Amino acid sequence: MSLVPLVVAVPFAAGTLIAIVGKWIPPRIADVAGIGAAAASTVLAAILVSRTAHRTLVYWFGGWRPKVGQFPVGISFTVDRFGAGLACFACALVTVALLYSWRYLEEEHGLFEVIALLFCAGMAGFALSGDLFNMFVFFELMGVAAYALTAYQVEEEPALQAAFNFAVSNTIGSFLVLLGLALVYGRTGSLNLAELGQRLGTRHDGLVVVAFTLLVCGFFVKAAIVPFHFWLADAHAAAPAPVCLLFSGVMVELGLYAVARIYWTVFALHGVRPVLLVLGAVTAVGGAYMCVMQRHLKRLLAYGTISEAGCMLIGTGLLSHDGTAGAALTVLAHGLAKGSLFLACGVLLVCLGEVDELELHGRGRELRVLGVTWLLGAIALASPPFAGTFTGHALIEDSGPGWVAPVLAFATIVSTGAILRAGARVFLGLGPRNDPLLSEEPRESPASRENPSVALMTALALALAIGGLVIGALPGFAVAVEDAAHVFVDRHAYLAAVLQHQPVVHEAPSHWVTTTSSVVWAVATLLGSCGWAVFGLYREQLPQPAKVAMAAVARPFRAVHSGHIGDYVTWLVFGVAVVGGVFALTAS
Amino acid sequence: VTYLPYALAIVVFTAALFGIAISDNLVHIAVCVSVAQSATYILLLAIGYKDHGTSPVFSDIPSKRTTVDPVVQALTLTDIVVSVAVVALLLAFAVKSYEMTGTLDPAELAELKG
Repeated sequence: MSLVPLVVAVPFAAGTLIAIVGKWIPPRIADVAGIGAAAASTVLAAILVSRTAHRTLVYWFGGWRPKVGQFPVGISFTVDRFGAGLACFACALVTVALLYSWRYLEEEHGLFEVIALLFCAGMAGFALSGDLFNMFVFFELMGVAAYALTAYQVEEEPALQAAFNFAVSNTIGSFLVLLGLALVYGRTGSLNLAELGQRLGTRHDGLVVVAFTLLVCGFFVKAAIVPFHFWLADAHAAAPAPVCLLFSGVMVELGLYAVARIYWTVFALHGVRPVLLVLGAVTAVGGAYMCVMQRHLKRLLAYGTISEAGCMLIGTGLLSHDGTAGAALTVLAHGLAKGSLFLACGVLLVCLGEVDELELHGRGRELRVLGVTWLLGAIALASPPFAGTFTGHALIEDSGPGWVAPVLAFATIVSTGAILRAGARVFLGLGPRNDPLLSEEPRESPASRENPSVALMTALALALAIGGLVIGALPGFAVAVEDAAHVFVDRHAYLAAVLQHQPVVHEAPSHWVTTTSSVVWAVATLLGSCGWAVFGLYREQLPQPAKVAMAAVARPFRAVHSGHIGDYVTWLVFGVAVVGGVFALTAS
Repeated sequence: VTYLPYALAIVVFTAALFGIAISDNLVHIAVCVSVAQSATYILLLAIGYKDHGTSPVFSDIPSKRTTVDPVVQALTLTDIVVSVAVVALLLAFAVKSYEMTGTLDPAELAELKG
């Protein structure tokens, strides 16, 4: 009996079971069962991570294992270290989210657990799948669960609006994926990633480029890459804090994972790198800029996530194993640190009934532990030397062209500076009580729950923040991720593992060592973030013309984020047209 | 080879996207999403189609008969199931927000912006 399918089956079965019997069992038992299932799934995925150190595992459903050289009729889970690691990370974050919502979301019949577990199964299945159509199915499964989670506080109108926008955007994205996979199926007659890669080989005509465009744009919707990103800020602003942890921490990143996976195993087109890098840079800078203008804390953090997704896309788009490893390290550190900040927002909502930066001015002074959590989480995101997102960013910078380092530093400074500014205002009471530059947002009504366990919630947030700092500092961890990335980008090894049953895995020939320039950039980023935070707090004191100019620059950007689904879909179509147009000229 | 079904899929998909872009009614948008999904059915079935092929049920036909591709039919079925879930959720959101605000116009709902 293979462990591989259990990672998906356990949360699936547990979720379904809780949905069926939830009415008749006490809610505490449903809670415990949900947390237990997610934790079990985490452990199973961790075992897979350890087993994939030296080989890629291939599991064929129903025993439909093809003989060497035969056409793979069956459906496979193809598990390399990246996939297993991402599944493990997703399950771990779901466990944390369920623990956090132990008393945060008092609800009937354990519905939150049910949806969260289905979400968990969808994400794990997506990460492990070795079949393009199954990727689509899991993509939709996690999508549907995510829409429901966004609208979980169904009595709030913004939550419904956000969930609607999110659902329509992502469903269109999944249709693009489906159209793309239909086209490659029509060309090759296969849906297995390895067989697809084998059959396409280097025959890259117009049809293949169109299919690649559709698939990539579909996954970019999930990854919140500009101009496909509009749903993300709305969804994060309206969803409960533990759900934001899952969205920002791992769901968005799964979109990028899928792009990298299909690029490396199936397409390997030439000439796509510039497009990916430019999109990444635009997303990194644009997200950071929008981040600065927010006063709703969760929306602010959400734009920070968009910015960071841009940084990860730069890493992925470098199309090298170092860049991919850097992106993966960033995913882990960012997921934990950003997650801790979202959880801290949840605590603020429970304790102070508010997540608006200006309304909360100085009111967080009593919550000292939470203030420390916020500081640690923000610093972990600011790429501090030898901790947090540093290793990830440094790997991306060192393996990319010269402009990458300043772009990453700029995006990080602007977005983490805004996070630090918000923290200073809320927890220290610094800066003025009013800032007309920041967007007005609808209020989120406080979670009216019976005695939520604030201590547990704060402890989880603090633990994630410390985890985010430490994961970048673990000796040997970066090396392991680099080896995994080396396997991930090795197309021949993937094809051989699935089609020839040759689980050969080798280590990266050389490993990255910390360079002086990366440390210099890290120090500059950290100091810059603090400086930008101070500027953000006291920009009221700028002369009037400067303030007018800043407001004038901000206006069009704000107007673009209209909250209207029709606009979002128009941008989506525009994005597909641009990406497809450029690919048509450059990709081959 | 006829390109008609492919052209039809593109036309239907584009029309659905256009419908969402200009729509002022949430229910209309949910229907447009469903129409966009129909375009994917057309494309899938067109890819698996063979002239003079029968349905791929092998119990009562000689195994040499030409059949259409069964895989795309399975994909289409899965796709339909997915579509049911998504459209159901969209309609639920629409109904719920109509209950709360008395309008279905996304422009009037747009509270989240900037």
